[in-house]
Amino acid sequence: MNSKRVPRVGIGGPVGSGKTMLIEQIVPILSAKGYKVSIISNDVISKEDAERMRQNLATDKGLMPEELVIGVATGGCPHTAVREDPSINLSVVEELESKYDFLDLILIESGGDNITTTFSPALADYFIYIIDVTGGDKYPRKRGLGIENCDLLVINKIDIAPYVGADLKIMERDAKIVRGNKHTVFVNSKTGKGVNAVVSLIIKDVLFDALPKSSK
Amino acid sequence: MDIEIDEKEISVLQLSDSFFPTGLYATSSGLEALSQTRKLKSKNIFQFIAIQLQQVMGPSDCTAMGFAYESCKKKDIVELLRADESLYYMKLIEETRIASTRSGNQLLKCVSTFITNNKMLKEYQIAINKGKATGVYAVSFGVVTSSLNIPKKKAGMMLLYGWAVSIIGAALRLGILQHFEGQKIIHELGPNILQAVLENVDRPISGMWQFAPSLDILQMKHEALSSKMFIT
Repeated sequence: MNSKRVPRVGIGGPVGSGKTMLIEQIVPILSAKGYKVSIISNDVISKEDAERMRQNLATDKGLMPEELVIGVATGGCPHTAVREDPSINLSVVEELESKYDFLDLILIESGGDNITTTFSPALADYFIYIIDVTGGDKYPRKRGLGIENCDLLVINKIDIAPYVGADLKIMERDAKIVRGNKHTVFVNSKTGKGVNAVVSLIIKDVLFDALPKSSK
Repeated sequence: MDIEIDEKEISVLQLSDSFFPTGLYATSSGLEALSQTRKLKSKNIFQFIAIQLQQVMGPSDCTAMGFAYESCKKKDIVELLRADESLYYMKLIEETRIASTRSGNQLLKCVSTFITNNKMLKEYQIAINKGKATGVYAVSFGVVTSSLNIPKKKAGMMLLYGWAVSIIGAALRLGILQHFEGQKIIHELGPNILQAVLENVDRPISGMWQFAPSLDILQMKHEALSSKMFIT
């Protein structure tokens, strides 16, 4: 393994499930703990997500230099860009690793996609798949590569579950049946509820409880 | 020996396959920008590719590839780096330049996993790591096809065919073509690809050129768009 290799978390999920907002909640918590993070945002059709995170996390909050939020165009192939042919993403990762040796973590957001999204193990060490309750409580039960294979399943927008008739207990039960002992976390990315649990799992399972590089 | 020929042919198929991981699917070489300015039809896609083969990809990328290929056969790293530098600076669009180097570097890394004893392949990557070369795609393609002992003209065909197919793929995803039309255009482009290879693959690097100013300007505008599918 490359000695400069920075741990990488891939975050995938359907359009509108809350990938960008989850990152916007995760990064401030990691930053407060001293971890230096970079974000690669894969765009399907626009630069809006990358521009929003750059503005919010870098420009407004000053949590990272603006150049550490990078947008990647995927030619309308969000699957391909993170799985079959992750060349462009890998190239960006390698550039980050060579230029910024202080980085503790790289977050890679896939373009919005369907339930068969997975990340190439060459690209991401840890895979978070995020869905939301608006698809109904049948979502985990219906399976799909993303739900089955991810290291961490995040179920978002729990605050509106009662309004869309989604029973969180059913989702939790079915996720356990489909995923066995792998983690599932319920969050509200708008308020940040549940996000600390996601960050704790990243620190434990991806960073192996290592202290931030800047503290050493 | 027949077996030796077969092995080379497998390498030809492998590198020409759109499944081969180089990231080319994320570029449209200006087609997306053009499609936003006017309604495009099937015949326009043929013209778009044919003109770029004649004005850009042939005299610049294919020339650089051929020169890089020869430099590798002569084991001349200085000339190889000259091809690298010349092609890199001939690419006027920043995003195209960056995308080309990213694809080229990944191509080199991928091939290095199964070609482990080629001196020029190694030296080129060392030069890239030291910042003395960029790894721009067509030059990297010349290096790897040389390392695989694929004949130079065939390598030129592979380079331009692969590029043309990536544009057809972009046209399909942009909704300009349907799938049969795409295959028909690829078939019809055969003479154009062949001509571009024959005219350019033996051209000296000092004779490398490209001229498509309106397309350059379109792509520069495309770089600044906030809503787009492709890198360029």
